[in-house]
Amino acid sequence: MIQLKNIDKYYDAKFQRTFVLKGINLEIEQSEFVSIMGPSGAGKSTLLNIIGFLDEPNEGEYLFLGKPANKLKEKQKVQYHRSHIGFIFQAFHLIEEMTVYENIETPLVYRGVKSKERKAMVAEMLDKFNIVAKKDLFPSQLSGGQQQLVGIARAIVGSPKLLLADEPTGNLHSEQGEMIMKLLKKLNDDGMTIVQVTHSEQNAQYGNRIVRLMDGYINEENTN
Amino acid sequence: MNIKVVIRNLFKHPFLNLVKILGLSLALTGIIFISLFLKNELTYDRLNPKTYQIYRLTLTDPDFLGGKHFARIVNAGYLPEIKERLPEVEQYVRLMPVRGGLLKYKERFYNVNQGFECDSTFFEVFEVELISGNKKTVLENPASMVISKSYAETIFGESNPVGEVLTLPAGQYYGEAQNFTVAGIMKDFPSNSHFHPDFITTPVQHEFQYGWSWTYLLLSNGANPENVTREISDFLTERAQVEPEEFETKVYLQKLTDIHLYSNKLREIEANGNIRNIYVLAIAAFILLVIAISNYANLNLGMSGFNAKYLFINKILGSNKVAVVNFFLIEGLLILLATLFLTTLISIPTNTLIFKFYGLKLAQKNLAFILFVVTVFSILSLILGMLPVLKSILTAKKINTSVNFGRGRISRGLIVFQYAFSIALIISVIVISRQTSHALKNGLGARENNIVIFESVHASLQQKFEIFKEELLKYNSIQHVSAMMEPPGGEANDMFPFEMEGFDTEQNEDQFNRIGVFPCDYSFADLFNLQFLSGNNFTASNIDNEGSGEYIINEAAMKRLNYHDPDEIIGKTFKLNFMMSETTGIEIPRGKIIGVVKDFHLSSIKKKVEPLVLFKRDKLWLLNFAVAFQPGMRTAALTDIETVWTSMFPEYPLQYEDVNVMYQKVYKAELLQARLLSVFTIIALFICSMGLFGLALIITQNRVKEIGIRKVNGARVSEILAILNKDFLKWVILAFLIACPAGYFAMDKWLENFAYKTGLSWWIFILAGVIALGIALLTVSLQSWKAATRNPVEALRYE
Ligand SMILES: Nc1ncnc2c1ncn2[C@@H]1O[C@H](COP(=O)(O)OP(=O)(O)O)[C@@H](O)[C@H]1O
Ligand SMILES: [Mg+2]
Repeated sequence: MIQLKNIDKYYDAKFQRTFVLKGINLEIEQSEFVSIMGPSGAGKSTLLNIIGFLDEPNEGEYLFLGKPANKLKEKQKVQYHRSHIGFIFQAFHLIEEMTVYENIETPLVYRGVKSKERKAMVAEMLDKFNIVAKKDLFPSQLSGGQQQLVGIARAIVGSPKLLLADEPTGNLHSEQGEMIMKLLKKLNDDGMTIVQVTHSEQNAQYGNRIVRLMDGYINEENTN
Repeated sequence: MNIKVVIRNLFKHPFLNLVKILGLSLALTGIIFISLFLKNELTYDRLNPKTYQIYRLTLTDPDFLGGKHFARIVNAGYLPEIKERLPEVEQYVRLMPVRGGLLKYKERFYNVNQGFECDSTFFEVFEVELISGNKKTVLENPASMVISKSYAETIFGESNPVGEVLTLPAGQYYGEAQNFTVAGIMKDFPSNSHFHPDFITTPVQHEFQYGWSWTYLLLSNGANPENVTREISDFLTERAQVEPEEFETKVYLQKLTDIHLYSNKLREIEANGNIRNIYVLAIAAFILLVIAISNYANLNLGMSGFNAKYLFINKILGSNKVAVVNFFLIEGLLILLATLFLTTLISIPTNTLIFKFYGLKLAQKNLAFILFVVTVFSILSLILGMLPVLKSILTAKKINTSVNFGRGRISRGLIVFQYAFSIALIISVIVISRQTSHALKNGLGARENNIVIFESVHASLQQKFEIFKEELLKYNSIQHVSAMMEPPGGEANDMFPFEMEGFDTEQNEDQFNRIGVFPCDYSFADLFNLQFLSGNNFTASNIDNEGSGEYIINEAAMKRLNYHDPDEIIGKTFKLNFMMSETTGIEIPRGKIIGVVKDFHLSSIKKKVEPLVLFKRDKLWLLNFAVAFQPGMRTAALTDIETVWTSMFPEYPLQYEDVNVMYQKVYKAELLQARLLSVFTIIALFICSMGLFGLALIITQNRVKEIGIRKVNGARVSEILAILNKDFLKWVILAFLIACPAGYFAMDKWLENFAYKTGLSWWIFILAGVIALGIALLTVSLQSWKAATRNPVEALRYE
């Protein structure tokens, strides 16, 4: 599903070029659950953003579903965001001006799903994550765990093929973190491809594969 | 769904959004009223479908009253002949002022503000709607009067005036009383007309009397006014029976539509407007527009950081650029909606106030025009206000994905630009206010503030001036009583031939033998506190007989008579001639120059003081009375005046005015300009400060973390304040440097209007800069202080 070949990402400062990613080769198959690990500043988020079309590599080739990403038009990328890729973040990134319900509904609006169907799909999510009672609350009125639940609900309501999670449990207590991880595991079991960034070895174990990043290089790769 | 989010988003920054709305509303209100005012000024005298065919005829002649250009012409008995001779002249109408200022109906006198004797062709030239009467026939007969609706209501109330007789009482200039029959009623002339008569009437005699008349020609469609001018000139030359080379009278035709803004002649029917005012106001409106929109755009740009997260999330959820544009469009529309609402709230009372103070119904019948202005403003503010934000967002290669979402970027250029305009406006306000107050202070008798004027009193009252004066002076509240030919603020245009000992009149041409004259009563110089450079006032006991006449001259006249030392000209023999022939005219006795006074400003200080000879003639030419009361006894004096007046002239309405008020009328345009400009400057400064305040808020918010770190590392509050304020100060100083030359240039031009001016001192510029700087510093410091004194731990926790 994802093929990264010799990916370089760098920033040019005045007199020097700083590489964030250097010669990254990585392949991720459908239905995998990959954990990316590494110290802070190693380039994990950058890698995830490249995979999710939020950033572009300077060098190298990225094939998504067999199609070269650098040839994708803006429109195509928007299309992928709408129907293929879901995001979860450490800081949740819910829209604060929207209620829980509206937050979950937004991606469906962009996909052009009809109002009636939208209602049903959001209701299903609320039900699944047990947050029906919170649907009219704003993000600031929820606990961190609940916010992340909403974040996940929003990410998967459109049944994306790929879920990208950047330290989804970073801001949560271990209990809440565990709940989120179990949820991700379950989604993976149902067939969703997941790539997560995590600092915790324990959380990494939920996945079936760990990619270690160090100073821009993929250092080690082991399979469970 | 988007709208809900946008609204919630707006309410998240209520203060900043209110600043946007307030700024736009104030500017829009200002712009609406300026445009309405400009429209009113620029559409004078356009009611008539034939308006562009109407011209006003004026003449100048170097031999006649010093070649001065009057708005009216004298003894135009030849007009019917011109109409006969020139096929291009379709029609003419002459308007002769009705003097005396009073009409009598059933033993009561009514004031006339403006009234004309005119040719029966009035309605063929001017378009006025008749409420009663037929345009073709209403002026057919001699002494037929058409009165305006409001004048009819004043005199007759509800009853029908048609057929009633109004009497012009007997007076010095028109012999016996004349009766006029009301034959019709016309609608009041609109405010944007250059005259507003209470009535027009055909003369009692069938023929038009000799005298001054404003004269209008209706040319045939397509006629070339230059040709007509030449033909009239030829006609007059022929009529004068002189060779063309010797004929020095110049003929002018001025478009009816140019009279209000481009005519600055003597004896206009009403004070006209001025095209310079139009430019000043148009520029002010433009500045207001630019300031408001740039301010709005800048705030939008500054606040765009607040939206970065929202936009980022939407992108990962699959929104495209259209959605982003929509978001900002909806935000812009909502702000606009609020702006329109607020503008309406401000405009309604403003309109009422303008009507109350200036009598202008600006908004009336102008709904379409207002809508047009509002629409243009809306489109401009929506597009120009949102464009910078959209541009910066849409052209960004990659949406910021870091936790610390993008900071709003603020355009320093826009702030500098706004402040430069504001400072230039402050400079203008100071200069214009100074000049107008200088002008008002220098009006004749304006400094004392204890003089009231009875303007153009009726001729029969003029005859009783001596008794009136005697009666008034019995009261100890009254200081002086005097009378004179022209009221303060009036024009002393009359010039008589003269003779003076040692002044060789023979060698000069006739035009040099004339000098401006000003008949007045004994106490004129005392009452108006004229300063004698040499000599004395009129002797109270002196009765001017041949050889013992007394003349007082002003400084300009002294120079005109080729003297430089006032002491030397005193005692020289002098005489004015007003004899038309051996027998007709008025004999003014030979006498001496007994005093030289410093130049005083009877007329506007826009004009140079002309040479003037003051003299007195018993019961002659004393058209205006002046009364000065003892300082502090105003109320008592006014009561006493009323007592004397009602006992002496019971039938005549008591009407007087403060000298200061009269000069305010002279400088009406400048005062209005000063007031409007002050209002605009306050609005502009307010918008700028609010904008700066908002930007300071945004900037300090963006720097919260930096400030926190600095403080943890030991920076003092004063140091942080200095760091935060330094930037802003740099902008204002740069703006100051741009504004000074611009303001200097503009005001230098404006002051060219005046013959006597206050000048552009350096301190005006410094003051303007200090005001702008002070306001900017205050606004910014409010924010900086809050940021600088904040607990650093709290600030750092923000992350
Ligand atoms: N816009 C940028 N300009 C320069 N350097 C950047 C920029 N964005 C990220 N970086 C650098 O790239 C490196 C990797 O960042 P990131 O991918 O966020 O690391 P991680 O997620 O592994 O902690 C960091 O050292 C960061 O400083
Ligand atoms: Mg990261």
